[in-house]
Amino acid sequence: MSTAPAPAALPERPMPTPTRESQPYWDGMREGRFMLQYCASCGKVRHYPRPVCPHCFSMESEFREAPLGGTIHAWTVCHHPFNFFFKAQAPYIVALVDMDAGVRVNAPLRGVDAAGLKIGQKVRLQFEPVSKEVTLPFFVAA
Amino acid sequence: MAHALREKAAVSGIGETAYTRGTQKSGLALQLEASLKAIEDAGLSPRDIDGVVPYFPGGAIAEDFIANLGLPDLTLSLFVPMGGATCVAAIQSAAMAVATGVCKNVLISVGRTGYSGARVSTRLQQFPQFALANEFEAPIGMFAPAQLYAQGARRHMELYGTTPRQFAEVAITIRQHAILNGNVVMNKPLTVKEHHASRMISDPFRLFDCSLESDGGAAIVISAADRARDLKKPLVTIMGVAEGHPESPASIAQRPDLLDFGLVKAAKRGYAMAGVGPNDIDVAEVYDCFTFTVIRQLEILGFCKEGEGGPFVMDGRIGLGGELPINTHGGLLSQGHVVGLNHVIELTRQLRREAGRAQVKDAEVGLVTGYGDMGDGSLAILRRAA
Repeated sequence: MSTAPAPAALPERPMPTPTRESQPYWDGMREGRFMLQYCASCGKVRHYPRPVCPHCFSMESEFREAPLGGTIHAWTVCHHPFNFFFKAQAPYIVALVDMDAGVRVNAPLRGVDAAGLKIGQKVRLQFEPVSKEVTLPFFVAA
Repeated sequence: MAHALREKAAVSGIGETAYTRGTQKSGLALQLEASLKAIEDAGLSPRDIDGVVPYFPGGAIAEDFIANLGLPDLTLSLFVPMGGATCVAAIQSAAMAVATGVCKNVLISVGRTGYSGARVSTRLQQFPQFALANEFEAPIGMFAPAQLYAQGARRHMELYGTTPRQFAEVAITIRQHAILNGNVVMNKPLTVKEHHASRMISDPFRLFDCSLESDGGAAIVISAADRARDLKKPLVTIMGVAEGHPESPASIAQRPDLLDFGLVKAAKRGYAMAGVGPNDIDVAEVYDCFTFTVIRQLEILGFCKEGEGGPFVMDGRIGLGGELPINTHGGLLSQGHVVGLNHVIELTRQLRREAGRAQVKDAEVGLVTGYGDMGDGSLAILRRAA
Protein backbone atom coordinates (compact mmCIF):
# COMPACT_ATOMS: atom_id res chain seq x y z
CA MET A 1 0.00 0.00 0.00
CA SER A 2 1.43 3.31 -1.00
CA THR A 3 2.10 5.81 1.75
CA ALA A 4 2.97 8.60 -0.68
CA PRO A 5 0.96 11.74 0.01
CA ALA A 6 -1.92 12.39 -2.35
CA PRO A 7 -1.19 15.12 -4.89
CA ALA A 8 -2.35 18.51 -3.69
CA ALA A 9 -5.86 19.15 -4.96
CA LEU A 10 -6.18 22.05 -7.37
CA PRO A 11 -7.91 24.87 -5.53
CA GLU A 12 -11.50 25.45 -6.56
CA ARG A 13 -13.05 28.78 -7.38
CA PRO A 14 -15.47 29.90 -4.68
CA MET A 15 -18.93 29.65 -6.23
CA PRO A 16 -22.10 31.61 -5.53
CA THR A 17 -24.91 29.88 -3.71
CA PRO A 18 -28.01 31.52 -5.18
CA THR A 19 -30.89 32.28 -2.84
CA ARG A 20 -34.58 32.26 -3.70
CA GLU A 21 -34.28 35.99 -4.21
CA SER A 22 -31.14 35.99 -6.33
CA GLN A 23 -31.81 32.95 -8.53
CA PRO A 24 -33.18 35.02 -11.47
CA TYR A 25 -29.97 37.14 -11.46
CA TRP A 26 -27.79 34.04 -11.75
CA ASP A 27 -30.14 32.44 -14.32
CA GLY A 28 -29.73 35.64 -16.36
CA MET A 29 -25.94 35.51 -16.08
CA ARG A 30 -25.98 31.96 -17.43
CA GLU A 31 -28.05 33.14 -20.41
CA GLY A 32 -25.71 36.09 -21.02
CA ARG A 33 -28.27 38.62 -19.80
CA PHE A 34 -27.82 41.19 -17.00
CA MET A 35 -31.07 40.73 -15.08
CA LEU A 36 -31.93 43.16 -12.29
CA GLN A 37 -34.73 43.21 -9.75
CA TYR A 38 -37.29 46.03 -10.05
CA CYS A 39 -40.06 46.82 -7.58
CA ALA A 40 -43.41 45.94 -9.14
CA SER A 41 -45.07 48.73 -7.20
CA CYS A 42 -42.79 51.81 -7.35
CA GLY A 43 -40.53 50.61 -10.16
CA LYS A 44 -37.22 51.30 -8.42
CA VAL A 45 -34.29 48.98 -9.11
CA ARG A 46 -32.53 47.18 -6.23
CA HIS A 47 -29.34 45.16 -6.02
CA TYR A 48 -28.35 42.81 -4.56
CA PRO A 49 -31.71 41.02 -4.79
CA ARG A 50 -33.83 40.98 -1.62
CA PRO A 51 -37.45 40.32 -0.64
CA VAL A 52 -38.70 43.84 0.21
CA CYS A 53 -38.42 47.18 -1.61
CA PRO A 54 -36.73 49.53 0.91
CA HIS A 55 -38.49 52.53 -0.72
CA CYS A 56 -42.16 51.45 -0.68
CA PHE A 57 -42.00 48.12 1.24
CA SER A 58 -43.70 46.18 -1.55
CA MET A 59 -42.83 42.48 -1.68
CA GLU A 60 -43.74 42.22 -5.35
CA SER A 61 -40.89 42.47 -7.82
CA GLU A 62 -39.86 41.48 -11.33
CA PHE A 63 -36.54 40.86 -13.04
CA ARG A 64 -35.83 42.76 -16.26
CA GLU A 65 -32.83 42.82 -18.55
CA ALA A 66 -30.63 45.87 -17.98
CA PRO A 67 -28.02 47.58 -20.20
CA LEU A 68 -24.37 46.49 -19.95
CA GLY A 69 -22.70 49.90 -19.89
CA GLY A 70 -21.28 51.67 -16.88
CA THR A 71 -18.53 53.91 -15.51
CA ILE A 72 -15.75 53.19 -13.02
CA HIS A 73 -16.52 54.26 -9.44
CA ALA A 74 -13.41 52.78 -7.78
CA TRP A 75 -11.02 49.87 -8.13
CA THR A 76 -8.35 47.79 -6.47
CA VAL A 77 -5.55 45.64 -7.84
CA CYS A 78 -5.43 42.31 -6.00
CA HIS A 79 -1.88 41.05 -5.60
CA HIS A 80 -2.11 38.71 -2.62
CA PRO A 81 -4.22 35.64 -3.42
CA PHE A 82 -6.26 35.21 -0.27
CA ASN A 83 -7.74 32.18 -2.02
CA PHE A 84 -5.16 30.16 -3.93
CA PHE A 85 -7.51 29.70 -6.86
CA PHE A 86 -6.70 33.30 -7.81
CA LYS A 87 -2.93 32.93 -7.49
CA ALA A 88 -2.40 32.32 -11.20
CA GLN A 89 -4.44 35.43 -12.10
CA ALA A 90 -2.79 37.87 -9.67
CA PRO A 91 -2.35 40.74 -9.97
CA TYR A 92 -5.86 41.39 -11.24
CA ILE A 93 -7.99 44.55 -11.27
CA VAL A 94 -11.40 44.47 -9.62
CA ALA A 95 -13.46 47.46 -10.74
CA LEU A 96 -16.49 48.75 -8.91
CA VAL A 97 -18.75 50.08 -11.63
CA ASP A 98 -21.73 52.43 -11.59
CA MET A 99 -23.95 50.63 -14.07
CA ASP A 100 -26.13 52.75 -16.33
CA ALA A 101 -29.08 50.86 -14.82
CA GLY A 102 -28.44 52.55 -11.44
CA VAL A 103 -26.78 49.76 -9.43
CA ARG A 104 -23.15 48.78 -8.92
CA VAL A 105 -21.30 45.68 -10.02
CA ASN A 106 -17.92 44.55 -8.71
CA ALA A 107 -16.04 42.43 -11.26
CA PRO A 108 -12.61 41.91 -12.80
CA LEU A 109 -11.60 44.52 -15.38
CA ARG A 110 -9.55 42.95 -18.16
CA GLY A 111 -7.38 44.19 -20.97
CA VAL A 112 -6.42 47.53 -19.43
CA ASP A 113 -3.46 48.89 -17.51
CA ALA A 114 -4.22 49.80 -13.87
CA ALA A 115 -1.90 52.81 -14.00
CA GLY A 116 -4.18 54.66 -16.42
CA LEU A 117 -7.50 54.08 -14.65
CA LYS A 118 -9.74 57.04 -13.84
CA ILE A 119 -13.02 57.46 -12.04
CA GLY A 120 -15.76 57.87 -14.64
CA GLN A 121 -14.04 55.79 -17.32
CA LYS A 122 -16.55 53.87 -19.46
CA VAL A 123 -16.63 50.08 -19.31
CA ARG A 124 -18.91 47.30 -20.51
CA LEU A 125 -20.04 44.17 -18.71
CA GLN A 126 -19.27 40.79 -20.30
CA PHE A 127 -20.09 37.22 -19.33
CA GLU A 128 -17.69 34.39 -18.52
CA PRO A 129 -19.11 30.87 -18.04
CA VAL A 130 -17.04 29.18 -15.30
CA SER A 131 -19.11 26.00 -14.95
CA LYS A 132 -22.22 24.47 -16.46
CA GLU A 133 -24.39 26.33 -13.96
CA VAL A 134 -22.45 29.48 -13.19
CA THR A 135 -21.54 32.47 -15.36
CA LEU A 136 -19.71 35.41 -13.78
CA PRO A 137 -19.45 39.02 -14.91
CA PHE A 138 -16.27 40.82 -15.95
CA PHE A 139 -15.59 44.21 -17.53
CA VAL A 140 -13.72 45.46 -20.56
CA ALA A 141 -13.06 49.05 -21.64
CA ALA A 142 -16.01 50.42 -23.60
CA MET B 1 -31.25 67.69 29.31
CA ALA B 2 -28.35 65.34 29.73
CA HIS B 3 -28.53 61.98 28.01
CA ALA B 4 -29.94 59.31 30.36
CA LEU B 5 -26.82 57.13 30.04
CA ARG B 6 -24.22 59.89 30.33
CA GLU B 7 -21.61 58.92 32.95
CA LYS B 8 -23.92 56.30 34.43
CA ALA B 9 -21.41 53.55 33.63
CA ALA B 10 -17.67 53.13 33.99
CA VAL B 11 -14.83 50.98 32.71
CA SER B 12 -13.95 49.38 36.04
CA GLY B 13 -11.51 46.69 35.00
CA ILE B 14 -9.12 45.95 32.13
CA GLY B 15 -7.05 42.89 31.29
CA GLU B 16 -5.06 41.47 28.42
CA THR B 17 -2.79 38.55 27.66
CA ALA B 18 0.54 38.72 25.89
CA TYR B 19 0.10 39.64 22.22
CA THR B 20 2.02 37.11 20.15
CA ARG B 21 2.29 35.27 16.88
CA GLY B 22 2.15 31.69 17.98
CA THR B 23 0.31 30.33 21.00
CA GLN B 24 -0.62 26.92 22.34
CA LYS B 25 -3.68 28.33 24.05
CA SER B 26 -7.20 28.23 22.64
CA GLY B 27 -9.17 31.35 21.85
CA LEU B 28 -11.39 30.53 24.83
CA ALA B 29 -8.41 30.15 27.16
CA LEU B 30 -7.06 33.52 26.00
CA GLN B 31 -10.43 35.17 26.69
CA LEU B 32 -10.66 33.64 30.15
CA GLU B 33 -7.08 34.60 31.01
CA ALA B 34 -7.76 38.21 30.02
CA SER B 35 -11.14 38.14 31.80
CA LEU B 36 -9.61 36.99 35.09
CA LYS B 37 -7.08 39.82 34.84
CA ALA B 38 -9.80 42.40 34.12
CA ILE B 39 -11.90 41.19 37.05
CA GLU B 40 -8.86 41.29 39.34
CA ASP B 41 -7.96 44.75 38.06
CA ALA B 42 -11.43 45.95 39.06
CA GLY B 43 -11.00 44.48 42.50
CA LEU B 44 -13.91 42.14 41.91
CA SER B 45 -14.36 38.37 42.12
CA PRO B 46 -15.53 36.33 39.12
CA ARG B 47 -18.66 35.73 41.21
CA ASP B 48 -19.52 39.43 40.78
CA ILE B 49 -19.91 39.13 36.99
CA ASP B 50 -23.57 38.91 35.97
CA GLY B 51 -23.41 39.96 32.31
CA VAL B 52 -21.23 38.60 29.52
CA VAL B 53 -20.66 39.88 25.96
CA PRO B 54 -18.21 37.58 24.20
CA TYR B 55 -16.96 38.54 20.73
CA PHE B 56 -19.05 36.96 17.98
CA PRO B 57 -18.17 34.93 16.05
CA GLY B 58 -15.26 34.10 18.31
CA GLY B 59 -16.05 30.59 19.49
CA ALA B 60 -16.83 31.40 23.11
CA ILE B 61 -20.36 31.72 24.43
CA ALA B 62 -21.78 32.85 27.76
CA GLU B 63 -22.08 29.20 28.83
CA ASP B 64 -18.28 28.93 28.71
CA PHE B 65 -17.98 31.76 31.19
CA ILE B 66 -20.50 30.21 33.58
CA ALA B 67 -18.70 26.87 33.37
CA ASN B 68 -15.18 28.29 33.80
CA LEU B 69 -15.73 31.19 36.17
CA GLY B 70 -18.55 29.64 38.18
CA LEU B 71 -20.81 32.63 37.59
CA PRO B 72 -23.64 32.10 40.09
CA ASP B 73 -26.42 34.07 38.38
CA LEU B 74 -25.83 35.42 34.89
CA THR B 75 -28.62 37.88 34.08
CA LEU B 76 -27.52 38.94 30.58
CA SER B 77 -25.90 37.10 27.70
CA LEU B 78 -25.37 39.11 24.55
CA PHE B 79 -23.62 39.13 21.19
CA VAL B 80 -22.95 42.36 19.30
CA PRO B 81 -22.13 41.14 15.79
CA MET B 82 -20.53 44.26 14.28
CA GLY B 83 -17.07 43.00 13.34
CA GLY B 84 -14.43 45.53 14.33
CA ALA B 85 -17.11 47.88 15.67
CA THR B 86 -18.22 45.22 18.16
CA CYS B 87 -16.13 45.99 21.22
CA VAL B 88 -16.96 49.68 21.46
CA ALA B 89 -20.61 49.09 20.52
CA ALA B 90 -20.76 46.43 23.25
CA ILE B 91 -19.93 49.16 25.76
CA GLN B 92 -23.24 50.81 24.88
CA SER B 93 -25.17 47.60 25.56
CA ALA B 94 -23.23 46.97 28.76
CA ALA B 95 -23.75 50.56 29.92
CA MET B 96 -27.50 50.20 29.40
CA ALA B 97 -27.49 46.99 31.41
CA VAL B 98 -25.63 48.41 34.43
CA ALA B 99 -27.43 51.76 34.35
CA THR B 100 -30.83 50.08 34.50
CA GLY B 101 -29.85 47.57 37.16
CA VAL B 102 -30.26 44.54 34.90
CA CYS B 103 -26.59 43.82 35.64
CA LYS B 104 -24.01 44.97 38.16
CA ASN B 105 -20.83 44.08 36.27
CA VAL B 106 -20.68 43.18 32.59
CA LEU B 107 -17.68 41.42 31.10
CA ILE B 108 -16.75 42.16 27.45
CA SER B 109 -14.12 39.82 26.07
CA VAL B 110 -12.20 38.88 22.95
CA GLY B 111 -9.77 36.02 22.49
CA ARG B 112 -8.43 34.88 19.20
CA THR B 113 -5.83 32.76 17.59
CA GLY B 114 -5.72 34.96 14.50
CA TYR B 115 -2.21 33.83 13.67
CA SER B 116 -1.85 30.29 14.93
CA GLY B 117 -5.48 29.31 14.28
CA ALA B 118 -7.71 30.13 11.32
CA ARG B 119 -6.17 33.21 9.71
CA VAL B 120 -8.20 36.34 10.22
CA SER B 121 -7.96 37.49 6.61
CA THR B 122 -9.75 34.47 5.18
CA ARG B 123 -12.54 33.96 7.67
CA LEU B 124 -15.22 35.83 5.72
CA GLN B 125 -17.41 32.81 5.34
CA GLN B 126 -17.88 32.56 9.11
CA PHE B 127 -19.77 35.82 9.26
CA PRO B 128 -23.49 35.78 8.45
CA GLN B 129 -23.15 39.50 7.69
CA PHE B 130 -20.79 38.62 4.84
CA ALA B 131 -23.33 36.46 2.98
CA LEU B 132 -23.68 38.99 0.15
CA ALA B 133 -19.93 39.32 -0.28
CA ASN B 134 -19.70 35.53 -0.32
CA GLU B 135 -22.35 35.24 -3.01
CA PHE B 136 -21.47 38.14 -5.30
CA GLU B 137 -17.86 39.09 -4.64
CA ALA B 138 -15.91 36.04 -3.47
CA PRO B 139 -16.47 34.26 -6.83
CA ILE B 140 -14.88 37.15 -8.76
CA GLY B 141 -11.86 37.30 -6.45
CA MET B 142 -12.81 39.71 -3.66
CA PHE B 143 -12.59 37.96 -0.31
CA ALA B 144 -10.66 39.66 2.37
CA PRO B 145 -11.22 42.96 4.15
CA ALA B 146 -7.95 44.21 2.61
CA GLN B 147 -9.54 43.85 -0.82
CA LEU B 148 -13.05 45.00 0.07
CA TYR B 149 -11.84 48.17 1.84
CA ALA B 150 -9.16 48.98 -0.75
CA GLN B 151 -11.65 50.39 -3.25
CA GLY B 152 -12.81 53.06 -0.78
CA ALA B 153 -9.19 54.00 -0.09
CA ARG B 154 -8.52 54.28 -3.83
CA ARG B 155 -11.57 56.51 -4.27
CA HIS B 156 -10.38 58.78 -1.44
CA MET B 157 -6.97 59.04 -3.13
CA GLU B 158 -8.55 59.89 -6.47
CA LEU B 159 -10.97 62.45 -5.03
CA TYR B 160 -8.69 64.17 -2.51
CA GLY B 161 -5.11 63.34 -3.50
CA THR B 162 -4.42 61.22 -0.41
CA THR B 163 -1.01 59.54 -0.75
CA PRO B 164 0.86 56.36 0.23
CA ARG B 165 3.29 58.64 2.10
CA GLN B 166 0.39 59.67 4.35
CA PHE B 167 -0.61 56.02 4.82
CA ALA B 168 3.01 55.35 5.82
CA GLU B 169 2.94 58.14 8.40
CA VAL B 170 0.02 56.45 10.18
CA ALA B 171 1.84 53.09 10.26
CA ILE B 172 5.16 54.62 11.38
CA THR B 173 3.63 56.73 14.15
CA ILE B 174 1.64 53.83 15.55
CA ARG B 175 4.77 51.63 15.40
CA GLN B 176 6.70 54.22 17.42
CA HIS B 177 3.99 54.06 20.06
CA ALA B 178 4.06 50.26 20.07
CA ILE B 179 7.76 50.27 20.85
CA LEU B 180 7.02 52.24 24.03
CA ASN B 181 4.44 49.69 25.16
CA GLY B 182 6.37 46.45 25.43
CA ASN B 183 3.46 44.00 25.07
CA VAL B 184 3.37 44.15 21.29
CA VAL B 185 3.94 41.95 18.26
CA MET B 186 5.90 44.55 16.25
CA ASN B 187 8.68 46.14 18.28
CA LYS B 188 11.15 47.47 15.71
CA PRO B 189 10.97 50.95 14.16
CA LEU B 190 9.40 51.25 10.72
CA THR B 191 10.72 53.61 8.04
CA VAL B 192 8.97 55.19 5.06
CA LYS B 193 11.27 53.20 2.79
CA GLU B 194 10.34 49.91 4.47
CA HIS B 195 6.64 50.77 4.28
CA HIS B 196 6.86 51.60 0.57
CA ALA B 197 8.94 48.50 -0.12
CA SER B 198 6.54 46.14 1.65
CA ARG B 199 4.64 43.91 -0.74
CA MET B 200 1.39 45.03 -2.26
CA ILE B 201 -1.60 43.17 -0.82
CA SER B 202 -4.53 44.84 -2.54
CA ASP B 203 -3.67 48.20 -4.11
CA PRO B 204 -3.42 50.73 -2.49
CA PHE B 205 -2.84 48.62 0.64
CA ARG B 206 0.68 47.33 1.18
CA LEU B 207 1.58 44.84 3.90
CA PHE B 208 2.36 47.58 6.43
CA ASP B 209 -0.98 49.27 5.77
CA CYS B 210 -2.71 46.15 7.11
CA SER B 211 -3.36 45.21 10.72
CA LEU B 212 -1.76 42.18 12.28
CA GLU B 213 -2.96 38.62 12.33
CA SER B 214 -1.99 37.79 15.89
CA ASP B 215 -2.88 35.75 18.94
CA GLY B 216 -4.14 37.26 22.17
CA GLY B 217 -6.99 37.98 24.50
CA ALA B 218 -8.46 41.13 26.02
CA ALA B 219 -11.31 41.88 28.40
CA ILE B 220 -12.94 44.77 30.20
CA VAL B 221 -15.52 45.08 32.95
CA ILE B 222 -18.28 47.68 32.76
CA SER B 223 -19.90 48.62 36.07
CA ALA B 224 -22.39 51.22 37.22
CA ALA B 225 -20.46 54.46 37.83
CA ASP B 226 -21.67 54.84 41.41
CA ARG B 227 -20.45 51.33 42.24
CA ALA B 228 -17.19 51.68 40.30
CA ARG B 229 -16.28 54.72 42.38
CA ASP B 230 -15.64 52.40 45.32
CA LEU B 231 -13.55 49.90 43.35
CA LYS B 232 -9.79 49.59 43.14
CA LYS B 233 -8.76 51.90 40.30
CA PRO B 234 -9.33 55.59 39.41
CA LEU B 235 -12.84 56.07 38.06
CA VAL B 236 -13.11 56.26 34.25
CA THR B 237 -16.67 57.02 33.19
CA ILE B 238 -18.45 56.61 29.87
CA MET B 239 -19.48 60.12 28.83
CA GLY B 240 -20.77 59.16 25.42
CA VAL B 241 -21.18 55.93 23.49
CA ALA B 242 -22.93 55.08 20.24
CA GLU B 243 -23.05 52.59 17.41
CA GLY B 244 -23.86 53.42 13.80
CA HIS B 245 -24.80 51.41 10.74
CA PRO B 246 -24.24 52.77 7.23
CA GLU B 247 -26.59 52.50 4.29
CA SER B 248 -26.26 49.14 2.52
CA PRO B 249 -24.60 47.72 5.65
CA ALA B 250 -23.71 44.29 4.26
CA SER B 251 -22.40 45.45 0.90
CA ILE B 252 -19.86 48.21 0.43
CA ALA B 253 -20.25 47.83 -3.33
CA GLN B 254 -23.87 49.01 -3.25
CA ARG B 255 -23.32 51.83 -0.73
CA PRO B 256 -24.08 55.18 -2.39
CA ASP B 257 -20.96 56.73 -0.76
CA LEU B 258 -18.08 54.30 -0.19
CA LEU B 259 -16.68 56.68 2.41
CA ASP B 260 -19.89 56.69 4.45
CA PHE B 261 -18.88 54.73 7.54
CA GLY B 262 -21.34 53.89 10.34
CA LEU B 263 -19.15 56.19 12.42
CA VAL B 264 -20.76 59.18 10.66
CA LYS B 265 -23.96 58.49 12.61
CA ALA B 266 -22.25 57.19 15.76
CA ALA B 267 -19.94 60.21 16.06
CA LYS B 268 -22.82 62.65 15.91
CA ARG B 269 -24.73 60.82 18.65
CA GLY B 270 -21.66 59.98 20.72
CA TYR B 271 -20.43 63.58 20.88
CA ALA B 272 -23.96 64.83 21.63
CA MET B 273 -24.36 62.36 24.49
CA ALA B 274 -20.97 63.27 25.93
CA GLY B 275 -21.58 66.99 25.52
CA VAL B 276 -18.08 67.47 24.10
CA GLY B 277 -16.54 68.04 20.67
CA PRO B 278 -13.30 67.16 18.90
CA ASN B 279 -11.45 70.06 20.58
CA ASP B 280 -12.04 68.48 23.99
CA ILE B 281 -10.30 65.20 23.09
CA ASP B 282 -6.84 64.72 24.63
CA VAL B 283 -6.09 61.28 23.17
CA ALA B 284 -7.78 59.09 20.54
CA GLU B 285 -7.56 55.34 20.04
CA VAL B 286 -8.81 54.93 16.48
CA TYR B 287 -9.65 51.54 14.98
CA ASP B 288 -6.74 50.84 12.67
CA CYS B 289 -7.53 47.75 10.66
CA PHE B 290 -5.87 49.68 7.81
CA THR B 291 -3.87 52.90 7.75
CA PHE B 292 -6.42 54.54 5.48
CA THR B 293 -9.25 53.65 7.85
CA VAL B 294 -7.60 55.87 10.47
CA ILE B 295 -7.30 58.78 8.04
CA ARG B 296 -10.95 58.59 7.08
CA GLN B 297 -12.18 58.26 10.67
CA LEU B 298 -10.22 61.35 11.74
CA GLU B 299 -12.23 63.29 9.14
CA ILE B 300 -15.53 61.81 10.31
CA LEU B 301 -14.64 62.58 13.92
CA GLY B 302 -14.24 66.24 12.99
CA PHE B 303 -10.50 66.59 13.68
CA CYS B 304 -10.13 67.90 10.14
CA LYS B 305 -12.32 68.61 7.14
CA GLU B 306 -13.66 66.07 4.66
CA GLY B 307 -10.80 64.92 2.43
CA GLU B 308 -8.09 66.47 4.61
CA GLY B 309 -7.28 63.38 6.69
CA GLY B 310 -4.14 62.71 4.66
CA PRO B 311 -2.40 66.03 5.34
CA PHE B 312 -3.73 65.98 8.93
CA VAL B 313 -1.73 62.90 9.95
CA MET B 314 1.58 64.47 8.86
CA ASP B 315 4.09 66.62 10.76
CA GLY B 316 3.89 64.76 14.06
CA ARG B 317 0.30 65.76 14.67
CA ILE B 318 -0.88 62.23 15.62
CA GLY B 319 2.23 61.28 17.58
CA LEU B 320 2.88 61.59 21.31
CA GLY B 321 3.46 65.27 22.01
CA GLY B 322 1.39 66.18 18.94
CA GLU B 323 -1.95 67.89 18.68
CA LEU B 324 -3.87 64.59 18.78
CA PRO B 325 -1.90 61.53 19.89
CA ILE B 326 -3.53 58.40 18.49
CA ASN B 327 -3.15 54.69 19.16
CA THR B 328 -0.69 55.22 21.96
CA HIS B 329 -0.40 51.43 22.49
CA GLY B 330 0.47 50.41 18.95
CA GLY B 331 -3.03 49.56 17.79
CA LEU B 332 -4.05 46.71 15.54
CA LEU B 333 -1.24 47.68 13.18
CA SER B 334 1.59 47.02 15.63
CA GLN B 335 0.40 45.82 19.05
CA GLY B 336 -2.04 43.05 18.23
CA HIS B 337 -5.46 42.38 16.76
CA VAL B 338 -8.03 41.77 19.44
CA VAL B 339 -10.76 43.58 17.51
CA GLY B 340 -9.98 46.88 19.17
CA LEU B 341 -10.65 45.90 22.74
CA ASN B 342 -6.96 46.76 23.26
CA HIS B 343 -7.91 50.32 22.19
CA VAL B 344 -10.48 50.55 24.99
CA ILE B 345 -7.94 49.18 27.45
CA GLU B 346 -5.31 51.71 26.36
CA LEU B 347 -7.70 54.64 26.61
CA THR B 348 -8.64 53.54 30.12
CA ARG B 349 -4.94 53.33 31.04
CA GLN B 350 -4.34 56.81 29.63
CA LEU B 351 -7.15 58.28 31.70
CA ARG B 352 -5.99 56.43 34.82
CA ARG B 353 -2.50 57.78 34.03
CA GLU B 354 -1.15 54.23 33.89
CA ALA B 355 0.18 54.42 30.32
CA GLY B 356 3.87 54.51 31.24
CA ARG B 357 6.19 55.89 28.58
CA ALA B 358 3.22 56.49 26.25
CA GLN B 359 1.32 58.58 28.79
CA VAL B 360 -0.36 61.66 27.32
CA LYS B 361 0.20 64.35 29.92
CA ASP B 362 -2.88 65.33 31.90
CA ALA B 363 -5.23 63.25 29.74
CA GLU B 364 -8.76 63.95 30.96
CA VAL B 365 -11.05 63.04 28.06
CA GLY B 366 -10.39 60.59 25.24
CA LEU B 367 -12.20 58.69 22.56
CA VAL B 368 -12.07 55.22 21.09
CA THR B 369 -13.64 54.03 17.85
CA GLY B 370 -14.61 50.76 16.29
CA TYR B 371 -14.94 50.02 12.58
CA GLY B 372 -15.80 46.84 10.80
CA ASP B 373 -18.17 44.43 9.25
CA MET B 374 -18.21 46.33 5.93
CA GLY B 375 -18.42 49.73 7.61
CA ASP B 376 -20.28 49.54 10.91
CA GLY B 377 -18.96 52.08 13.35
CA SER B 378 -18.88 52.82 17.05
CA LEU B 379 -17.57 55.52 19.33
CA ALA B 380 -17.01 55.83 23.07
CA ILE B 381 -15.87 58.96 24.86
CA LEU B 382 -14.38 58.31 28.29
CA ARG B 383 -13.46 60.71 31.06
CA ARG B 384 -11.19 60.60 34.07
CA ALA B 385 -13.68 61.20 36.86
CA ALA B 386 -11.43 60.24 39.75
